[in-house]
Amino acid sequence: MSLISIPFFVFICVLLGIYYHTGEKHQWKVLLAGSCIFYMWCNPVYIIFIAISIVSTWYLMRHPVRSHFIWTVVINLGLLIVFKYSVNFGIHDLIAPLGISFYTFMTLGYAHDCYDGKIKPSDNLWHYALFISYFPQLTQGPIGTYQEMQEQLTAYHGYDRDNLKNGAYRVIIGVFKKLVIAGRVGFYIDTVYGSPKGYGGLTLIVATFFYLIEMYADFSGYMDIVCGVSDMFGVRLKENFHRPYFSKSIPEYWRRWHISLNEWFNTHLFMPSVTSGWNRFLSRGLGKVFKKAKKGTLRTVFPTIVVWIVTGIWHGARFSYLGWGIYFAFIMLVSFCTSGYVKKLCRKIHWNRDNVFVKIFQVARTLLVLSIGEIIYRSESFSDTVQIFKNILTDTHINGSQIAAALTPFGNGNQAVASVIIIAVLVTAQFVVELAKEKDENAFRGHRYIYATAMLVVIALFGVAGKSNFMYQAF
Amino acid sequence: MALTAAILLIAVAVFFKNVYSCEMPVRNRGIRDAVRTGDLDVLFIGSSTFRANVDMPMMDEAYDGRVYDISYGGNQLVATVIQYEEIRRRSDAEYGLIVFELGPMMLTQEVALSDSRVIWDLSWEGKKELWKSMYDAGSTDLPMMYEYFVTSGMDDLVTFPLTEPFYGTRYYKGAKTDESVSPGREWLEQEEFDISDKTPVKAQEDAVVDIIQKCREDAQSFVFVESPCYYRLQDDPTFIRYRDEFIRILDENDAQYILASDVDFDSHEADYFEDMNHMSASGRRAYTRELIKALENGVKDE
Repeated sequence: MSLISIPFFVFICVLLGIYYHTGEKHQWKVLLAGSCIFYMWCNPVYIIFIAISIVSTWYLMRHPVRSHFIWTVVINLGLLIVFKYSVNFGIHDLIAPLGISFYTFMTLGYAHDCYDGKIKPSDNLWHYALFISYFPQLTQGPIGTYQEMQEQLTAYHGYDRDNLKNGAYRVIIGVFKKLVIAGRVGFYIDTVYGSPKGYGGLTLIVATFFYLIEMYADFSGYMDIVCGVSDMFGVRLKENFHRPYFSKSIPEYWRRWHISLNEWFNTHLFMPSVTSGWNRFLSRGLGKVFKKAKKGTLRTVFPTIVVWIVTGIWHGARFSYLGWGIYFAFIMLVSFCTSGYVKKLCRKIHWNRDNVFVKIFQVARTLLVLSIGEIIYRSESFSDTVQIFKNILTDTHINGSQIAAALTPFGNGNQAVASVIIIAVLVTAQFVVELAKEKDENAFRGHRYIYATAMLVVIALFGVAGKSNFMYQAF
Repeated sequence: MALTAAILLIAVAVFFKNVYSCEMPVRNRGIRDAVRTGDLDVLFIGSSTFRANVDMPMMDEAYDGRVYDISYGGNQLVATVIQYEEIRRRSDAEYGLIVFELGPMMLTQEVALSDSRVIWDLSWEGKKELWKSMYDAGSTDLPMMYEYFVTSGMDDLVTFPLTEPFYGTRYYKGAKTDESVSPGREWLEQEEFDISDKTPVKAQEDAVVDIIQKCREDAQSFVFVESPCYYRLQDDPTFIRYRDEFIRILDENDAQYILASDVDFDSHEADYFEDMNHMSASGRRAYTRELIKALENGVKDE
């Protein structure tokens, strides 16, 4: 069931009606039943696999000893690997259960926290099942933690008009981002990245710029929808985006993009790796080569590489994802290793980091570095990646023919100019809103009816219907 | 409140688009501009092939300015019927000859909306008729209905003051004005195309008969013209099969036609083509010169 569809809208209305007419004791059961219906709507068979994951993890982690933890990891990672990477071993018939990457991480996070003694294992299987299967976050996250979610999910939520209004407003924002902004630039990107060989540098730069817009609008739009839906049920989901494109460095960017996934990797992979024996051993070896390097910096080298390679592979077993992971591992390491020197250098040359032009430079630099990574990520093959970089570096000119060529993926000549104008207006409007919010979190809080009306009109008249699948659903 | 306001605004925009889009002051192209021109000696109705392959200044010279070309990207035969009726409904002008496109592959097109300009140019009556044709051909569903009546052409409507000055310069009496050049023989020889799996669509075949019947009812002179394609497409077995099929329908209904082979035009000349079926500026001129002769010599009054 697509989140942007009439069945989902009806499903939410019916579920809300039942939810707020159900008493304190049974209200959470409505959410659990709703989550099961939502999941089975997509493919009833796959509930078996999420059920295996839920029951085995809950049962094993009731006594969070080492062997139980290992079994939990083996079962859950095993299912993930079988379904997600079987195609790489020539098995094409298995379609991964909806949201398996996300609920597996939630499961493993829960198991790890139980094993570390950070949380008390759940004593109620159904409560735990609701935590894993809660439908708004099931398909694409955010990857919630048991500590944050459990109490909210099982608590009683009385009818609250503000929750409904705020949630609906946020859903409208999400649909706007997805159908209007991501949907419109998406066609251009698909056309150009589908066969990059035939396009000049300028077109490829525009497509890459659009891809940054599409990714943010698609993914944050999805998050707005699920957070809005969850708000309507009185359950606050973790925020997953914090205007990442205003980041002044790549490490900052990754603290503001897909926050829950990065926190998960930090908590459950990076930090344990830093303190692990293998890392101490390897970083001691590295210390012998780089004698002046700080011990703390050396300890982050191998965990950073591991985390980024795993992050890449988590997206899928493709060259482009692996290359993307290695690229960002390299960038993060460069950033860690040079940040001290850069600070000293800035002080020496009296470079005021609070100056607005310096900030703009830093943001532009971050976006440039990010764009290079996204070219690797979006390319359909290694040869495409090489071709795109080659064309950008050797065939970029600002002249009439390249500008005309850059217009062609918008559609035929008669539609291109109108499309360009509409995309420019919408993207600028979105940028202005984000910039204002970056300066003041409370910007655009008033006059919500006007904004909601405007967005609904634009969605209805300019939205790209039929583009309701979200990018991260594939993972 | 927001929802009510939004619904009202959407309703106004949709009503305006569907009822008044055909009255927008579009220059140098489209039905409204053609109708405004008055009596014509030759009126072309076809697809982008006509738009690219007919040189209007040359036609102007030959027919004393009494010519016009109504063409849309991927225009379909089913839509051509509606466009002919629309012109008849909105104009009392006399047309010496109407030239319809004999595009063999048009017989294989799934009935669909090929160009938002098709909707834009039609009155509400025409829009309803085209929708009915699409519905009868079984090519409609709810998302398509939404696209057809709500979103299609909305970009043009909203950006009209900004885009019209730009678009207006790209056409002259409905035909292209740009000096397009050939991408070269190598490109044309390597360009991949595969039409072997195309199948005939009955609604498009019926539309050919409809066009003939409607013209006869109106005592309107007409001719079907096949515009030359690059020889690789022109000589493709599937293409030939559908050309023969088109000819069969025309012969059965005793309609006149001019084939690409009836004019003295070299389909092997790479400089004449921008792609497989659209001509470069030099090809357009070479072809139009011959087409004028063919129209003057080869078309009898109905």
